[in-house]
Amino acid sequence: MRTKLVVGAALALAAWLLPYGLDSYAIHVVNVILIFAVLAVGLGLCMGVAGQVNLAQVAFFGVGAYATAILTTHSGLGFWVSGVLALAATVLVGLVVGTPALRVQSHYLGIVTLGLALAFTNWVTNAQISGGAEGISAIPVPTLPGVDLSNEYLYYYLELIVFVLALAFGLFVVRTGLGRRLRAMRDDSLAAGALGAEVPLLRMTAFLLASVYGGVAGVLYAGLIRYVAPESFGIANMFLLLGMVIIGGRQSLIGCVVGAVSLYLVREWLSDHPTIAQLAYGAVVVLVVVFAPTGLAGLPARFRDLLRRRRGRSGTAARLAPFRPYTEPAEPSTGTGAPILAISRVTMRFRGLKALDDVSLTVGRGEIRGVVGPNGSGKTTLFNVISGLYRPTGGRVEFLGTDLTGSSPYRLARAGMSRTFQNLRLFGDLTVEENILVALDRSRTLGAWRYLLGPIAVLRQDRDLHRRARDVLDQYGLTEFAGLAPKSLPYGIQRRVEIARAVAAAPSLLLLDEPAAGLNGEEVRQLSEIVRSIRDSGITVIIIEHNMGLVMSLCERITVLASGRIIAEGEPAEVASTPAVIEAYLGDSMDSDDLPSIPEVTK
Amino acid sequence: MFRRRATAISAIAVFSVILAGCSAPGSDKKSSGDDSGPIKIALVDAQSGQLSSLGAWELKGARLAIDEWNAAGGINGRQIELGVFDDQGDPTTGTNLARKIDSEGYVAMIGTAESAVTIAMAPILKQAEIPNITSGQSPGLVAAGSEFLFLNGPTSTTYDETLAKHIVDQQGIKSIAMISNNGSYGKGEHDAFLKALQSRSVTPVADQVVTTDQKDFSAVLTGIRQKNPKVIFLGAEEVESGLIVKQARDLGITATFAGAAPQGTPVFLDTAGAKNAEGTIVSSPYLGNETSDASKKFAAAYKAKYNEEAELHGAKAYDGTQIMLTALKTSNVASGKALADAIRATKYQGLLGDFAFDTTGVGISATAIGTIQNGKLVAAAG
Amino acid sequence: MQIFLQTIIGGVSLGAVYALVALGFSLVYRTMGLVNFAHGNVVTVGAYLASTFYLSSKLPFALAMLVAIAVTGLIGLIIERVLRPLENRDFDLMLIGTIGFGIVLDALVIMIWGATGRAVPSPVPAAPIDLFGVRIRTYDLVVLAIAAAATILLVLFLSRTKRGAAMQAVAMDHEAATAVGIHVGRSNAIAFMIGAGLAALAGGLVGPLLYVSPALGGTLGIKGFAAAILGGFGSIPGAIVGGLAIGILDSFTAGHFQGYSELVTFLVFTVIIMVRPTGIFGERTVNRA
Repeated sequence: MRTKLVVGAALALAAWLLPYGLDSYAIHVVNVILIFAVLAVGLGLCMGVAGQVNLAQVAFFGVGAYATAILTTHSGLGFWVSGVLALAATVLVGLVVGTPALRVQSHYLGIVTLGLALAFTNWVTNAQISGGAEGISAIPVPTLPGVDLSNEYLYYYLELIVFVLALAFGLFVVRTGLGRRLRAMRDDSLAAGALGAEVPLLRMTAFLLASVYGGVAGVLYAGLIRYVAPESFGIANMFLLLGMVIIGGRQSLIGCVVGAVSLYLVREWLSDHPTIAQLAYGAVVVLVVVFAPTGLAGLPARFRDLLRRRRGRSGTAARLAPFRPYTEPAEPSTGTGAPILAISRVTMRFRGLKALDDVSLTVGRGEIRGVVGPNGSGKTTLFNVISGLYRPTGGRVEFLGTDLTGSSPYRLARAGMSRTFQNLRLFGDLTVEENILVALDRSRTLGAWRYLLGPIAVLRQDRDLHRRARDVLDQYGLTEFAGLAPKSLPYGIQRRVEIARAVAAAPSLLLLDEPAAGLNGEEVRQLSEIVRSIRDSGITVIIIEHNMGLVMSLCERITVLASGRIIAEGEPAEVASTPAVIEAYLGDSMDSDDLPSIPEVTK
Repeated sequence: MFRRRATAISAIAVFSVILAGCSAPGSDKKSSGDDSGPIKIALVDAQSGQLSSLGAWELKGARLAIDEWNAAGGINGRQIELGVFDDQGDPTTGTNLARKIDSEGYVAMIGTAESAVTIAMAPILKQAEIPNITSGQSPGLVAAGSEFLFLNGPTSTTYDETLAKHIVDQQGIKSIAMISNNGSYGKGEHDAFLKALQSRSVTPVADQVVTTDQKDFSAVLTGIRQKNPKVIFLGAEEVESGLIVKQARDLGITATFAGAAPQGTPVFLDTAGAKNAEGTIVSSPYLGNETSDASKKFAAAYKAKYNEEAELHGAKAYDGTQIMLTALKTSNVASGKALADAIRATKYQGLLGDFAFDTTGVGISATAIGTIQNGKLVAAAG
Repeated sequence: MQIFLQTIIGGVSLGAVYALVALGFSLVYRTMGLVNFAHGNVVTVGAYLASTFYLSSKLPFALAMLVAIAVTGLIGLIIERVLRPLENRDFDLMLIGTIGFGIVLDALVIMIWGATGRAVPSPVPAAPIDLFGVRIRTYDLVVLAIAAAATILLVLFLSRTKRGAAMQAVAMDHEAATAVGIHVGRSNAIAFMIGAGLAALAGGLVGPLLYVSPALGGTLGIKGFAAAILGGFGSIPGAIVGGLAIGILDSFTAGHFQGYSELVTFLVFTVIIMVRPTGIFGERTVNRA
């Protein structure tokens, strides 16, 4: 902490004194670099942190610069008034450009945003108001009482302040709830949605952030260069910006800044040999992507890893502690009360294939319900329908007495439903603790205005969340894994993290999709203990499982699916002796996993 | 470890800065004005990106002029050094480079070929008092109002006034269609030619705009075909103009094409196909390598040095560089305002014509009319 | 009506070239999960090679083309080796990695052939065909025929030959294909070689239509990629339909919106993609929970 402060202070001092050592050209280069750094931070937030491919960042930049230019030269407004209006215009454009993200992702989003960026340059090239291909010149010098901003040395200080604020705000976002949710969405949007992250809103937030940074950079650009033309906001600069973000390390905002500074300096250094510079720049980009995908920012961690491996220290020394059962039941568990979940006549078709056929199911409060059936019988499809990932072709899903058929996963999650996934969907680039934090944080994305108006409250809330996350980790015996990446953990521990995460979301209904898959006998026994304790704390549990022993011993009632239909439902013993069940299992496959076998779990 | 190193480095940086003194930022020690060593002239042009072909031609022309002077002993015994800077066709980069050539002590600048970049650079060069001879021809360059900015050719207004005079006044053709692109060159041409037509109360039968990287002109040309004009004016660079002509002929359009300098270049001829371009009316100060002894000599030297045919852009840059060097010589290697005045006072018989600068920085205000006959640009009779 | 038909014909002619570019994108993507943004630059390389053999070596156009395709295919093998670490990576990395590689190719093109470009005379000198006032260039017919032939050959290769079937298997399920003993690496290399060959074909064919310069591939690449997406990324018929659609769309917006054509083209494209995110024929990806 103290070294951080010292480094920060030293950097601040160096930044403050930097102009004293530079000639007039160098200070100009620094000024341009700072603008690119702001842009890169915005792109890093959108692409690196939120995972939204955004090839329109340079267009946001252009909108900010052009709007400032038009408002000052045509409408005769003051520079700062124009700047604020330009920022608003950029945000509007950002939201429009972000809209496709609601429907498409990855390369589709890439080409759409690229197309919209090209559409922007096409527009400014043609429009009368933007001065056509020759652009707008004679943008007035921004005025500041007592400071002559036409002096580039003084302009540097203005930029420096804006840049530091922009970076600090970016870091603040990334390291608190909003940023965590954005990162969770980037790593796995399905799981994030299932934990209540409002994925559509978050995607728009990502573009909103990108456009704010783009707009700020644009206004600064207009004040610095005082001339705008279409070529400055073209595709070549977009690729340059992209190169900066990737080379620096897109997941780290500091990395983005380092990338912007270093790539610009290298190009500047090689500018006398344009073709060689081009060759070198391209080659560096390829090499970084291939050999250091985490960019410059990821290098220290990689070196540390390398050193550790050299020294022969293998893996982690962290150990799993025992699960500490929930002590007080939240409410008396009655298996008979009003049903928490009522599914009636649900049908789900995929291209003519009926995955679910007229399925009706009622689960009472406080129950542990087992759902079993041969592979491909529609169990996971049923879960996906219940948790909102699929919209059923027909039928109704009622949760807590309200019809929520076809609601989006995050709405269901916020209504009190939580789930785990068959193939584990932990947020890979978040630590174990952060995985839990995402689930614990129930604040709404729309409440993000507090980041601007009440940052202290945000920090306080975040501290509170961290305390609760430590409690959860402690309860599940995961404290020693708090700071580790989930992927580095053994399979059984990852399963436990996922369950802890699902329960941390404080659901009233928990859906577990094959929680015992890949676990050894002891782990299965612990699992059974955990699930029972979760139920005792007042949470209803539905569990899909192939391990019949676990199901038989754990569940009060069992529903059997085969070929998308319910063929039996009842208490374990009752179901196991139904002829239809035995036939379904034997008829489907001889895979021993699927067969009702002798209970492995003894209580 | 890493952090401690960072701290140490920043501490050293801070310390050295403090040692450097407590003067206000911005004390600039310029190296210009020293009387020894080579004379530094900057060439700023796109050497990479979409417009790099223009930059390549410019560089060849300028380099040829400088090599000739250096071979002849330089100016006042000093060699001339040409610094090449790549603006990537981007005005932002242009403004950076304007400051860079200032801080590195260049006394003058040749380029750019892209009006938008030159306009962006103009205020900075004006402040730094660095004379600049550009190859742009947009009227916007004149509007920039810098006494340090000179054009090595006429503006679009001159090109198109001459062209309109030839077509409308002399040949009496009033059925004219226009195709121009939305780039800075095309826009300038469009406005200038339209103005020249309007002053003769001629309304074009069609006025079509295309984008700078459009490839297919079927819709535009079919529309024009139905209007059946006698002449089609082209306001686009050589490659795009060539494509338009080629596609027009394929669509059965027999009208004569007309345009400014690009339509007289070999690249245009090659792209369009010599047969298709036959009869094209060109308004240009440089009607090809065969028009005068000077141009023959230039073309031969160019061919010898680069093993390719000389063309307009190289010739323009060659002229501009010659003027710059002549002014340096007559002013006894002055810089700043004195050099600008020397350029303004320079009378030079160049490849493009007789240069005599007016107060706006335009050196040539006449173009000649040529037509393409048998695949060659020749001066029009009369 | 005449304008309408003529506009369509103009669009189809370039559309066929976009389709070839899109085909290369799609083939590489479906086989190895690589979105190769350097594809447009490979088109440039192909165009330069074809025009070099045609103009300098005085080879007949068809022969020059074949040589160019072969050489570009070999270059494709080298590129594949360089880009291999990017296969099946996350999209951002692929995007910037292949763009970076494209920049390298661009620089190499400028170093080898210079920045100024060259015009290629049409190899088919026959006059255009006049059909009730609608004119069709003979060379366009040649381009269409070659594009169609290339597509048919590709489809036959994929469906009828053992190697093609193996590539299909890799496209469908990478791991299962490995499990049944298909050499995935070789399949990828061949896919890339064919993709590069298609790029050379597109570049070579477009040379006489346009002007060969280092900037040639940029626009073709973006339009070709948009075409592949529009048709359904990874789909062979999608690439063809998408290419023609983009060509015709371009042609019409150029007629109606003049200088604003690009703006309109991309707005229309965005709307289509938002309405039908997986394109006309759909990308076959399954999002499993």
